[in-house]
Amino acid sequence: MSNRESVENKNIALIDILDVILDKGVAIKGDLVISIAGVDLVYLDLRVLIASVETLVASQSGNRKEISSEEFDKQREELMYASQ
Amino acid sequence: MSDLIYLYGLIPTEEEKRESVIPFKGLDEQKEAYSVQIGKITAVVCNLDSKEYSEASIEEKINNNMEWLQEKALHHHNALLNLKQKYTVIPMKFCTIYKNENSMRKTIENNQEKITDSFLHLAETEEWNLKIYCDDSLLKKYLSGRNLNIASKKEEISKLPPGRQFFEKRKLDQLLDKELETEKGSVCEQIHDRLKQFSLNHTVKNNWSKDVTGKKYDMSWNSVYLIAVDRVEEYLEEINNMTKEMEEYGWKFEASGPWPAYHFAIMA
Repeated sequence: MSNRESVENKNIALIDILDVILDKGVAIKGDLVISIAGVDLVYLDLRVLIASVETLVASQSGNRKEISSEEFDKQREELMYASQ
Repeated sequence: MSDLIYLYGLIPTEEEKRESVIPFKGLDEQKEAYSVQIGKITAVVCNLDSKEYSEASIEEKINNNMEWLQEKALHHHNALLNLKQKYTVIPMKFCTIYKNENSMRKTIENNQEKITDSFLHLAETEEWNLKIYCDDSLLKKYLSGRNLNIASKKEEISKLPPGRQFFEKRKLDQLLDKELETEKGSVCEQIHDRLKQFSLNHTVKNNWSKDVTGKKYDMSWNSVYLIAVDRVEEYLEEINNMTKEMEEYGWKFEASGPWPAYHFAIMA
């Protein structure tokens, strides 16, 4: 098996994809309806983090108190406020 | 109201003429994606309902609907990956949407030269990412064995009264931590230098925290290389060699690719 075959399409996480398609990639400006160049990656990191923590909590349910997504949203808002 | 045009990416018309784009389901999972020829440039696009995909509604979804973002981001990326297998591709940013075909045509026509230059620059190349992780405890062990100063310092400390030993050990640990960081930085730079030789272009990115990667070890390096297709095997072989050389000291390498040239298709 070539090196390429053993690596191709592996080691790719969603965060890798989001990182490049939101931040990189070409934007040819002009009559664009929407440009999401403004998406803040720090904020995005936080979201992905929260999503992964939520999954973790869900998988451990029973062992500890469940944290609802409302609570997470509240915490996120606080964090965002603090990071502004 | 007429449909909006979602632009995935641009490919050279001459390549598209040799093999036309296989239609696939567009971003809304209903209408088929298709290609639009604009001189030497072919745009791969799909139509979107202008109400459902207005700026406000997309922004709302990006900010509040992680599931939507994940699904559509994967769709955008997969569409470009499939194109990349057959054509030279300039990948667009996620959600590059024009009001109508005419406005997209005009924008592309105005940038024709830059786009065709970029095709030349990207032809027969691939983008590859490398992330380096380090098991600090293994590297620390190696460093304290390698550094004679630290070994003799340890010896000295062991002869001190217990109270002093505690403080001196703490000082030594701090010294070791500092040395660890310096070593990590310089090793990663050396690795980057070795890999740069295979690349046409390269860029160093920020490291991500463990919270984001979900990995056990800290990320020490994150870089991207644009590599000629016929040198990719050599590049990956070099990473394999480095893994063999350095694994025992705690270094872990993660190469991923080939990516659409997100970092190198730049319209300067």
